[in-house]
Formats: sequence, C-alpha cells, structure tokens
Amino acid sequence: MYVHSPITPCARLCSQMTKMADSSVDVIEGCRLPVLRKNQENEDEWPLAEILSVKEIPGRKLYYVHYIDFNKRLDEWVTPERLDMKKLQFPKKEAKTPTKNGLPGSRPSSPEREVKRKAESVSLATQVSPATPVPSLPGLAEASQVSVYPAVRDTNTFNLKSNAHDDHEQLTSLTTVHQHFITFPLICFPRCANVYLPPGEDSQDSSDGIPSAPRMTGSLVSDRSHDDIVTRMKNIDCIELGRHRLKPWYFSPYPQELTTLPILYLCEFCLKYLKSLKCLQRHLTKCNLRHPPGNEIYRKGTISFFEIDGRKNKTYSQNLCLLAKCFLDHKTLYYDTDPFLFYVMTEYDSKGFHIVGYFSKEKESTEDYNVACILTLPPYQRRGYGKLLIEFSYELSKVEGKTGTPEKPLSDLGLLSYRSYWSQTILEILMDLKPDNGERPQITINEISEITSVKKEDVISTLQYLNLINYYKGQYILTLSEDIVEGHERAMQKRHLPIDPKCLHFTPKDWSKRGKW
Amino acid sequence: MSKLSFRARALDAAKPLPIYRNKDLPDLNDCVSINRAVPQMPTGMEKEEESEHHLQRAISAQSVFREKKENMVIPVPEAESNITYYDRLYKGELRIPKQLFHIQPLGLDNEQPDYDMDSEDEILLNRLNRKMEIKPIQFETMVDRLEKASTNQMVTITEAKLLLNEDDYLLKAVYDYWVRKRKNCRGPSLIPLIKLEKRDGSTNNDAYVAFRRRTEKMQTRKNRKNDEASYEKMLKLRREFSRTVTILEMIKRREKSKRELLHLTLEVVEKRYQMGDFTGEVLSEVTAPLAEKPVYTVPITVTNGNRHNHKAEIKIKSGGLPYHGYHHVSVKDEDPFDFVRPKKKYTRREPLCRPGRPAKRQHIVNKADIKQYDFHSSGEEDYPLSPTSEPDEENDPDGTFAFRRKAGCHYLAPCLDQTSGLLWDHPELAGLDALRHRQSLTALSVPQRCVGLARRRVGRGGRVLLDRASSDLDGVLKQLDSGVFSSSFPKGLSDPQVPTQNHRTMPGSASSLTDLLSNIQALRWRFFRPRSTQGDGSGEGRTGRPSMDNRLSGGLFVHTKNSGSGGITEEQYQVHQQALAQMQKQQLAQLQLKTAGSTDCIISKTLDSAGAHFAASAVISAPGQVNNENKPDNTSVNGVVQPLVESLPPHSTSTSQGGTGLDRSGRTPSSCGPLLPASHSTTPQSLPNHRGHGSAVSPAHHHHNARPSPSSLKLATMATSSLDRVPKVTPAISSMARDNHEPERLALNGISETTVPMEVT
Repeated sequence: MYVHSPITPCARLCSQMTKMADSSVDVIEGCRLPVLRKNQENEDEWPLAEILSVKEIPGRKLYYVHYIDFNKRLDEWVTPERLDMKKLQFPKKEAKTPTKNGLPGSRPSSPEREVKRKAESVSLATQVSPATPVPSLPGLAEASQVSVYPAVRDTNTFNLKSNAHDDHEQLTSLTTVHQHFITFPLICFPRCANVYLPPGEDSQDSSDGIPSAPRMTGSLVSDRSHDDIVTRMKNIDCIELGRHRLKPWYFSPYPQELTTLPILYLCEFCLKYLKSLKCLQRHLTKCNLRHPPGNEIYRKGTISFFEIDGRKNKTYSQNLCLLAKCFLDHKTLYYDTDPFLFYVMTEYDSKGFHIVGYFSKEKESTEDYNVACILTLPPYQRRGYGKLLIEFSYELSKVEGKTGTPEKPLSDLGLLSYRSYWSQTILEILMDLKPDNGERPQITINEISEITSVKKEDVISTLQYLNLINYYKGQYILTLSEDIVEGHERAMQKRHLPIDPKCLHFTPKDWSKRGKW
Repeated sequence: MSKLSFRARALDAAKPLPIYRNKDLPDLNDCVSINRAVPQMPTGMEKEEESEHHLQRAISAQSVFREKKENMVIPVPEAESNITYYDRLYKGELRIPKQLFHIQPLGLDNEQPDYDMDSEDEILLNRLNRKMEIKPIQFETMVDRLEKASTNQMVTITEAKLLLNEDDYLLKAVYDYWVRKRKNCRGPSLIPLIKLEKRDGSTNNDAYVAFRRRTEKMQTRKNRKNDEASYEKMLKLRREFSRTVTILEMIKRREKSKRELLHLTLEVVEKRYQMGDFTGEVLSEVTAPLAEKPVYTVPITVTNGNRHNHKAEIKIKSGGLPYHGYHHVSVKDEDPFDFVRPKKKYTRREPLCRPGRPAKRQHIVNKADIKQYDFHSSGEEDYPLSPTSEPDEENDPDGTFAFRRKAGCHYLAPCLDQTSGLLWDHPELAGLDALRHRQSLTALSVPQRCVGLARRRVGRGGRVLLDRASSDLDGVLKQLDSGVFSSSFPKGLSDPQVPTQNHRTMPGSASSLTDLLSNIQALRWRFFRPRSTQGDGSGEGRTGRPSMDNRLSGGLFVHTKNSGSGGITEEQYQVHQQALAQMQKQQLAQLQLKTAGSTDCIISKTLDSAGAHFAASAVISAPGQVNNENKPDNTSVNGVVQPLVESLPPHSTSTSQGGTGLDRSGRTPSSCGPLLPASHSTTPQSLPNHRGHGSAVSPAHHHHNARPSPSSLKLATMATSSLDRVPKVTPAISSMARDNHEPERLALNGISETTVPMEVT
C-alpha cells in the first residue's frame, strides 16, 4: 500500500513556496501537488504530481499531471477537483520553469534539473490547446458517425471517468477539511512574488541548448534532452485496432491533425491510420491484407512470425513504429526505418493474422543488440506473449550463431520481462545439469551464454539478481535455493507456448555485404 | 564474517562454476556475504525510471514471493477488446494456408487511392448520385489525384481538368467540394500524412516530424578535431591511388608493347631461320635503312616520359643471334652486344628539319636506354616514373649548354670509335671538307641554278631557309648552273666503278666541275634541291625536267666494301628474288590501279599493308627492275645489296654485299637516316608514275615526311617478315605510334608540301 508523503526535494520546495490554495490561485505548469488517483486495489491515494499542462474546455479547466515516481504512462488529464490545492508547490525559480505557455517544467522526479526549452515548443503548445475544444473539429462529424455502431462508447467514459464524480465528491469534502488548515499561512506572502516569474523570463534561455540530431543507430533514446512538453504528453486519446481499443501510453508523432480525434482508427492488418470509422470502412474495401505484409518465417499453432524489411516495406514499418511509439517511451522515430527488420508476431483466427506484438532488430548491430524495440500490444500483455517474443529473438540469434542483448535503455516492463526470461532460461539449464559420474555438475558462464545466446553480461546479472553466485572455499559456486527451485518449477508449469525451433524458417542475411541495408 | 578479510577473485566467465543445492551446503551462510565481490551489473534501465514506485514494488514482490502477485504488477492504462462491430467491419474469412506466406513487398501497390472517403464525402456523393452515378472509389481516386498533385498550392481548375479525365459537371462539383474541404482542413493534406523533414533543418526539433532520412555523413568516431586532417589525408590517398592506377595503366601498355615486340622478334627469327639467314645478312640489309631515319622520325611516344617504350630495339643475348633494331640504334662500343657484322655508326652533324632544335645535339644511347629494351628487366626499373632519362654526365661536360634530351627525340651516338669512318679524322679534309660536311650543295629549281653550299633550315610555317656559305667551289658551281639542270649527267659519271670508290681517295678539294659532279654522284657530296610537291605531284610534270636530282640522290650513295659479310649465297638469293619479283608484280598492278590520278602525297598516306609489303619487297627487288630499265648505272640508288647483286657486274656484287654498313662513309646521320627508308618504301609507289626516269626520290622524301616512324616500323616488320609471304600487319606498335603523332605528322606534311628535302652525302 502506497502511502503518499512529500518526498525530500519537494519538502524543501514546500518550505519555500507553498502557497495558500485559495480559489484565486492559478495552478500553472510546473506546479506540484498531490493528485487523487485510484490504485490497483481501487483505493484512493494522493501521490505528488506535477502539472505539465493546463487546458480549458468550456466550463472547466483540465490539468495534465505526471505522478512523480510513477511511470509516464499513467499521466493523465484530471479535473481541478482531484488536485490537492492546499499542498500546492510552485515551481522553483531557479528551475526556470516557465509559467504560462505550457512549456516544460522540471522533469519528473527531478525538479531541480534545468530543462532547456525550445522556442517552437511554445508555438506547438499554443497551437494544440485552442484546437482541443471538440465541437469545432471536423473530427466531431466523424464522432457522430460512430453512433452507427451502438457499441461505441463515449471515449471519455473510459477509465477514471466513471469515478470522476466520486472523486469530485471526495475532493470537495477533502478541500473543505483542508480549508481549515489553510487558515494559517504557511508562507509569507512577499516571497510569493518570487514565485511568479517575470513575463520576459520565459524566453530567456531559449537560445541555448540547441540539440543536435540524435545518433543514427539504434531505436531508443536515453538522452531526453530533446524532450519538450509535446513529447512528454500523450497526444492520442484512443486507438482502435481491430477488436481492441488501446489507450496510448506515450506520445506518438501521428499526423498532428489526427491527435485531436477522440479515436484514431487503425487498419488491423496494414496499420494505416484513419480519422474515422467511415474512412476505415472505405479503406478496408481497398486493403485486402489479412496478415502483416512480410514473409512468414515461423508458424506453430496459431502463432506466426512475419519478417518485414524496414527498407522494402516502408509504409508498414512506419505505421508499425507509430503504433509502437504509443507504448514505448524511449523509442525514437527520428530516423527512417531502413536499417531495421521487424518481426511481427501474430495470432491467427478465421479473420486473419492479428498482430499481437513485435520486435525490431537492427540489420547490423555494432553492439550485439538482437532486439531494438520490443512490444506486446496492451490487450495481449501479461499472457506470456512477451516471453515468446523474447524467446523468438534469441532463437534468431542462435541461428545466427551470435549472442545478443536488447538495446538499452530497458523500460520497467522490459526489464521485468527480460529478467524473467533470463531467469527461467538459465535456471532451466542449471537444473537440467546432472552429476557427471559422481562429480558435481558445473558450468561456465560462457557455456550458458553459448547455449542460450544470452549475452554474457546478462547471464551474470541474472545470476546475481537470483543471488545464485556465492563464494565458497576459495571459488565461485552457484547455489540453487529451495525457493528458487520451487519458484522456477511453478513458473515452468505456467509457461505455455514455447517457441519451437523446428518451425523456424530463417536464414540470416549478411547485411554488411548487401551494401546499403 | 572473518572471510571478508580476503578479497575474492574476479568472476571468470570461462571458469566452471560448480552447482550446489542449498541443502548440500551446510555452511552456506558463511559464503553469502562474499557475494558483493561480484560487481553489480547495471539493469539497463534509466536511473530515474528504475526508481519508479511500481517497478520497485514489482521487483521486491518478485524477490520476496518468487512470483508475480496480481496487485504487484506495474499498472498500465486500460485496453478493451470488445469492439462488437468488428465482424461487420472486417468482412470475409481467411483460411490458413498450408504454406508460409511469402510476399514480395514491392508488388503490394495495386494503384488504390490513398484517400479514404469520410461521411462528409458520402453526403456529397449521395447528392451527386441523384444526377449521375459516381462510385466511391471513383471519387476517392479524384481526390487522391488532386491531393497528390497539389503541394503548397492547390491545383487549379484547369490543371484539375487535365488531371482528371472526368465529366465536366462531375469535375466541377468534386473540385469545388475538394477546394472547400481542403481550406477547412487543419492538416496540410486531406490524406493525413506524417510530417516530413524540411531540408533547411528547421524541422530538426519538431516532435511531429518522423522518419528522417539518415544523411550520409562520414562519421568519424570521437576525435572530431581530426576530421579535417583526416579528410585531407583521404583526399591525398585518393589522389595517390588514382596516380597508381595511371601508372599501372601505363605499365600495362608498355608491357603490351613489349609482348608485341617479342612476338615480332620471334617472327623475325623464325623467318630468318626459314630463309637461312644465319649470319644476319638479310636482316641487316632490311634493318639498316630503317635504322637510319631518326631525323625525320617523329617521336613515337611523347607522353609519360617513357618515350622509348615503343621503339623497337631488341637485344638478343642468347643464341648468338645478331642484334637488330627496327629502328636506328647506335650503341656505344662498350655495349656488350654480340654483333655479327660491324656496327653501324651514325654521326650527325646537324638536325635537318626539326625546327627549334639545337644544332649540336648528339644522340646518345646510353646503357640505361638500352636496358629498357631488355625484356628481363621490365618492371624492375622505375623509369615509368622518371620523367626522362638524365643525360649522361660523362657525355655532357658542357655545363649550362649541356645536352639535354628532348622527349621523343632520337639521338644517335657519335662514332667516336670509327676512326676510319670520320672524314674529319683525316687532315686532308680540312677546310672545304669541313665546310661541306655542314653544308650541302644546294640547287634551286625555280630559277634553275645551284646556289652553292648552303644549309637548309625550316623556318616558321614550314618555309625553308637556306643559309648559304661561300667556298672556293662557288666558281665551279656557277658552271654547274647551266649544265646540271638541262642535261643529264654524262654517262661517265655514272660509272659503275664510282660507288665503289674508296672515299679516302676522294679528292679533298674538288675544284673542277667534273670532280664535283662525280663527287655528288658518288654520294660524297650532299646535294639538296628543294622542290614543290604540288607542282609535280604527277610524274608527268617532271618529265620535262632533268632527272638530275634523282640521279644525284640516287647516286649519292657510298657503298663501302664489307669484306666480312657475304654469308648469303647467290643461289639462295635468286630463289627469293624470284618469289619476290612475282609478288611485286601483283603489288605493282594493285598500286597502279590505286594511284591512278592521285598524288604521291595521297599515295604515301594511304600506304597500307599491301603497299608496305610491296615496299618491303621492293627494298630487295625493285631497284633491279626499275633502275635497270633506265639507268643501270644508278642501281646503287637504294643502297640495297640485292639489286646490286642483280644489276651490277659480278665484281661489284661481292663488294657491296654488306651494303648496309654504309655509314662508314662518314655521312652525317641526318642525311642518311631519312633517305634510305624513304627511298626504299616509296620507290615502288612512284613506279607507276615515274617509271620512265625512276625518279623515286621526291616522293620518297615526301612520303617520309608524311609517314614517320610508324610506317617505317611497319616496313621493318614487313621487310623482315615479307621475305616469304605476305606479311601480317602488326598494328599494335605502328597504330599506337601513329595516333600519338598525328599532329606532328600533319605539321610535317605541311613542310613537305612546300619543299621536298633531299639530302645526301
């Protein structure tokens, strides 16, 4: 159970600039305050959150909040009722957090960090917000089209909306309670003047930090200096893909005019983005794909893998990347897809081969990466497909006769999935080792790496993580504890759908000899 | 805990790790604390994200429970999978095929419009459909075309008419609708497209711009500072590589030429073997004239500094076969060539018609030059790189006036060793003789008179300048004026004995006309007479003119006895002679057809292999036929042995058999060089026209000027190989050379059109 408490840096801020939360106070970008959200047990909690953006729709304001120390994917638009105004912290002056224009404040969980601001983000932000009022959109006409299909729900009724009313009630009650406290001023007012930045100041540092183009290899960025408020905020509300409605987790550079739509429609097979159901309908009369447009290199049961060349099939690759970006924070779409291969995992039913997940892979990796980006689409998550994707990627590496490792940085889910896969794979090998004519079984890390195609470093880190490596009588040993063994056996029972190498029809290509990718 | 006192060794990935179950290790707790000796591996996550609440919770949950608890997973935004209209949307079913899908990604384009109609369009379509039938796909295609044709500016109605081949009413309706819709459109296009980068880099930070092209930049790692330096180095490297390529190309050419040369040599040797020319006599006969035209020889290769590449000079060290050169060659005495016959030595006093060339240059062939023709040494030398071979120091004591080799020129070595061959070695040759070795007796043709001793220069534009010299001969020469050009020489002057005279007995100071004439005739005097080729292009034009010059040139030939030669027997010779005579007749017939009505100039230019062959054969046979007709006493005209054999009285045959050793007479090389090959090759050509008087000289010179060494080179091949059969033309050398010297040839043609030089000793 998570108990909210202001974290140390915030506490410091708090002492400086907490302001009395009365109705006249503007909650601006960069402000921090506890925001109500429901946890997985559907309990209320008040994690500290940062206001990233404010928008006004007729009748009320909405605040885009990032919960500090929570993943960005949980960021959301909230109503003012969910804000705990009495604990409002204004952005530190030193952080040069901009005030008005919806510009980036501090980074999540690092309020002190100076964020370089780019001039154009101003225009972008201002450009977006007036567009938000829904009625003016041509897309709304499409929304009416939706009503043809009665099952379509109002997109706003999605997640927390149903609780919104309750939240509001709670919030109001809470605020009344809090108002009591607010009667004693926490901060002297003269200081508050510092809180408000002079209007000119927000354009001060726009000249510095012109970012250079990111590196051209790989698919992920760890350097987030390019981040601006635009990429920090989800821009697509909802994506309809086949039978599924997906709530994107992150920003994705779909055409900007489509970001205001309540629902973005994708063709399930070619992944083309369409602004309305009518358009999708029309598109489907012309698109006769029923599987990803690549070569099927694996099929067992209903699971298939398709290989798509990012250079030869640009449209599909780009569409796939746009979709994937919705769920991969660090993925970059800065450069074209040419140097990548895409392995799309599908599940077959009578309608066709439905995309479940995919991973991309550089044709030539200088850093032993065998996976660039990897994603199981949300509807299929936590059902073992991710492990299947990972397993498949190592099967490819085995065919290539190489060891490989996923491109860094890993996401939280990526780390958990990979650790889980590595643990299971390594434990399987260790447990299968039988005593050799009375001798204690032994194995080198290199051997494990060769058998599994898991890079040596990953083997070591897994052994470490599982706490298997011990030093005993002058040498390193691997010890298998009871709960490790039991846990592994439980996991293996649950594990289904292993990749069958016999069903893999894959010949690795030497891309270096093919000239340009 | 005491075990912490030592440091654990680093974990070795190659070292086997024994595997224990915990139950096997009663003292496990002792070793656990050591675990920290293994360096902690990074998780691969971003630090900030790694500390995220849900992840930490999940990780700790996993480590505690060894399995995921439902409430410990990382929460994600919801997804729903209950789209009920799915089946209506995605119609039809797909049976899973037995085979794996194999797709050609390029074949996917099926020309479907990218534009997808929306409900707004549908309203329009319904409205339009009341008046006419329009299918959705048709509408989409129209909009698609309009969209794709317009960039920033929208397509105009007239453009649209061209673009869409539709009914006017429909077009107007759709166009207007499209314009309206596009103006209201918030995106740049009605077909939503991903923002593309702009070339100016203004979109570098636009979050909505995706899939930028990877610019092809040479990426050097790390040391950016070195970029420029390394770039320059790369450039330099590139330059040097391309130079290497050029050099290799040149070497290739050189080696090709060498191979060609080797084949030719082989052929020559074979021919000689077949004809039994074991002493090198025949060879020397045919090579001698060829070797004597360096003066008019235009350099074969001027470029690249390897100017000697294509000069055919071979030394054959093994087998004792005689040295032969396709070209002139003069070798210093110390050259270890194994000559069967005495070496030819050419001395040159003056350049004849090379404008701007210093007069006193001597041709030196040093060993280094000769070495180039050594097949075995090819490639070992660096001479393709050296611009020109440097003048030999010992031969060049003149300081700033030192002799410097001119690329492409042939130089002949002085015959310093040939004491007997040099006129100035003899005291009696002082004075006038010294003079006459520098000057020629010169006659003008238009005012027909002899101007006495003069030296001819070729001036600008090919004009011929005569530098006159006064001598005590002038008086005698004046007498010559009248007589020489109007009447032929007295028969007596053409006495067969004359050529065989030893030049040493030649009077040092000829004072009488008779003596002079006889000297001229005996080739002891050089005689020069300019002539216009245009004027007497046809042989008939010359009939009215005395053939004095012919006789002069023809007669101006010294045959020295060569007692050491004579390896070929008369029987052998006769056999060849018959064969050649037959061939010659055929060639003659051919040539007559060819040359009818054409000028000598053209003839000489169009000398082909047949002609060359003919010329070559004529070297041997023609004089006997031609000259015998009119002037039997002039048989020495070509200085060739065989004709002499035939035409001369037996006693002279023996004396003149080694006729190619002519240089002994001490003639300057400049004179003998051009003359001999020229007259050889052109005599037969001129036959059709000049039969009557055998005036071969003019065309001979003409020809020689027009066709420099390539042809002669060819002739050399002909001459050597045509002894038995019609020769195979070996174009490699000659054509290459010809190409190289086209301009010079033209220049020389120009010269030869104004004057026909004729120089003899």
